[in-house]
Amino acid sequence: MKNIMHTAKVMLLAGSVVAAPAITFAADNPIRGNIRIVIGSKSTGGDTYQASSIIAEALAAKIDANIKVDAVGFSAGYQALERVPSGNTLMIFHDQAYLGHLYKQKGYEDPFKQWQIGPSFATNPGNGYLVPKNSPYKNMDEILNAAGNGQTIRVAIQPGGVSEIGYTAMKNAVRLAYPGQEDNLVALNTGSQSDKNQAMFDGLADVINGSVQANEQYTRLPADDQKAMNFVWLTAKSSTLQNANPEGMGQTSRDELLQYASGLGVRVPMDAENDFTFDKEFFFLYNKRMSPEVVAFLDNALAEVFADGKVQETLKKSFFIPNFRTSAEAQKHFKAKRDSYAKIIESLQK
Amino acid sequence: MEFLELLSPSYFLLAAAGSIIGIIFGAIPGMTATMAVAVCLPLTYTLGLHEGLALLLGLYVGGISGGLVPAILLNIPGTPSSITTTFDGYPMAQRGEAERALKICIVASLFGGFFSAIILFFFAPILADFAIKFSYVEKFLMIFFAMSVIASLSKNILMGVFSGLIGVLLSLIGTYDVSNGGNGEYRLMATWMEPYLAYGFSLLPVLIGLFGISTIIEEAEKGVKENSLENKVNLTKGTPFRFNVFKGQTGNLLRSSSIGTFIGMLPGIGGSAASILSYTQQKNLSKNPEKMGKGAPEGLVASESANNALTGGALIPLLSLGIPGDSTTAVLIGAFTLQGLQVGPLFIGENIDTWYSMVTGLMFANVVMFIAMFYAIRYIAKVVLIPKFILYPIIVMMCAVGAYAINYGIMFDVWTLFLFGVAGWIFGKIGIEVAPLVIGFILGSSAEVYFVKSLESYGEYSILVTKSPIALVLWGLIILSIVLSVIIHRKSKQQATEEAAQ
Repeated sequence: MKNIMHTAKVMLLAGSVVAAPAITFAADNPIRGNIRIVIGSKSTGGDTYQASSIIAEALAAKIDANIKVDAVGFSAGYQALERVPSGNTLMIFHDQAYLGHLYKQKGYEDPFKQWQIGPSFATNPGNGYLVPKNSPYKNMDEILNAAGNGQTIRVAIQPGGVSEIGYTAMKNAVRLAYPGQEDNLVALNTGSQSDKNQAMFDGLADVINGSVQANEQYTRLPADDQKAMNFVWLTAKSSTLQNANPEGMGQTSRDELLQYASGLGVRVPMDAENDFTFDKEFFFLYNKRMSPEVVAFLDNALAEVFADGKVQETLKKSFFIPNFRTSAEAQKHFKAKRDSYAKIIESLQK
Repeated sequence: MEFLELLSPSYFLLAAAGSIIGIIFGAIPGMTATMAVAVCLPLTYTLGLHEGLALLLGLYVGGISGGLVPAILLNIPGTPSSITTTFDGYPMAQRGEAERALKICIVASLFGGFFSAIILFFFAPILADFAIKFSYVEKFLMIFFAMSVIASLSKNILMGVFSGLIGVLLSLIGTYDVSNGGNGEYRLMATWMEPYLAYGFSLLPVLIGLFGISTIIEEAEKGVKENSLENKVNLTKGTPFRFNVFKGQTGNLLRSSSIGTFIGMLPGIGGSAASILSYTQQKNLSKNPEKMGKGAPEGLVASESANNALTGGALIPLLSLGIPGDSTTAVLIGAFTLQGLQVGPLFIGENIDTWYSMVTGLMFANVVMFIAMFYAIRYIAKVVLIPKFILYPIIVMMCAVGAYAINYGIMFDVWTLFLFGVAGWIFGKIGIEVAPLVIGFILGSSAEVYFVKSLESYGEYSILVTKSPIALVLWGLIILSIVLSVIIHRKSKQQATEEAAQ
């Protein structure tokens, strides 16, 4: 009966995430009414929704507001954000926001001009590349050398974003070691993760973009299973990956995953001295007209959420790495990051 | 049997509540099972995984089933997969058999739901391995097969095919989306339309406009008189419901449920193809194909058993590969994500209790759906007794609210609704057939993606035939479907000529 009563209470809260009141923040909250967080992905099964939901719940509890995360995709998300400067609509996205613009994808404007960059809060170190278990290529060296020696290597990616930046880096690495051979790496334009997996099952792709979260179970299948795959590269910095949950994901520990990170088990050179790495980070985007008062309020609220320490545990449990920066710090960080990847993309297009 | 401990009273209460709320969502034109699941998804945080899943599975089953109510009573498909339910359901309601039509659909839905849940339970991993044998080529042929039904559903084959092509053309307006592997470019529109049509016309407003709003405009054109007897439906006039209506329908039920489950387990095909294919296969194999579309119970059985069989089917790739089978399971996957649980090829083996509890929840939600609808239906059926001058404004309002909500508040979707309402009314006058047009619209964009991807991947047209034995079988089915449609058309034409001569 107690259970039923509890359930009934929860049902009354349908459609919103409500938590215990936090009197100080509630009283100071300059945002009147409910808050809607739109995200740049249409998927509720992906990392953007997961990270956004975790931070939304923590923030809702801290400021005693109803916050709902809507997976509307970047285009609808931008439209919604443009309409509401009051802070009642916020957006969460990741590096795709500026990579889409660098890759000249339709609909992607320069986020630094169009929006205010809000706080960052998490990194997903799981972005990576996989090959079939029965592939002739066992690691990145073999893949890059094969391309350098004239073999066509087909890489399944979704163009214009986090998925493509690793492919760009592979091309760059082939060009450094084997100038003029980089076109042997061919992008296979696919859509969702399931399309990329299917391209591998069909024998259409030699390498696919994937993630620890989506593909870890496939790496544990026996080699004779058509669906079995192996990681060959995780794009995150090894120093970033070292901050992940030691238990890793599924049955694969963090230490096992580290062997696919740059500097430890893998080399994808960016230039003569440095390896290419890429950390996928999640951050808020605000309407350009949103008042400094609201920006400061959200900065402080999130700083307190992280000071409490609980959200870090939740993020780590889902293989995210907590990574809080205030709006000003995030703006500076992502601008520098954008500039550095712009150079790589530009050099490859020459 | 540790999973039994998970099945608390609140688990069943939530599954039942989900099912009933889902029916309401499904029954309101413009609201869908996907929307119901999306709205309640954050609750899985508070409820925990198992109880959260019970609620969401209930919403899924209820939402898919609820679509039959407006399809029969108002000629508006509550969900895209209940389009074919309107073909026979609405004529039955018009001749006073609304309660009978609703009950036939509910029983067929229960059968389809149970059938697919059983298939899911016993064969999920094997079927998932079979599903991945469907590459771009096989998926294109599957959609092409579903499109071949246009020939069978048309009153006039040439006009039907023409209407279908208009539907395909309309579906291609918008971006060739990078998330589908496209190039992100806009097609078939002027620059000033880009802010509105970047993602093309939304399916549900188009559907409700063509089916619902256009009917209302037609009625308005005729003029609805307050006390007109001709507009009154007599609920006791028609044949009452008896279970013996299912006599001779075993083959139909099994075939349609199998098609529904099968289409559900192929990611990217889309749920509506299931009921469209089942309906047409029944028409092609029926002893009385000329009665279908005029209020034949066998049409309802085919349509509703197939669309409820989708539920179990779409969960097969979700739980065996981590790939959602349809738009609703694509949202449902969020319940696992929110709990930090991976779904993939090892999910069932590593989460056996969750697996058992999900199958139990699915079966239970079907039972609740059946009880709730079967016994409430006599009251629901009375909707047709409401005078049209009261009913229609309410429908228009609900349609507008639903259209506005479907993409989280896009006003252009409301304009789409009315635009296609007017277009549907004009189509009726110039002979363009709405059903083939809608089928073309639903299937067109997926057909394009898989066709282009097939050519991009393999580089030659011949691959469409030579890719695999599955491709050859599908070609056989496509040819058979077209030949049967032509034979049926000829027969009914001959019959009409003979009747005219007599």
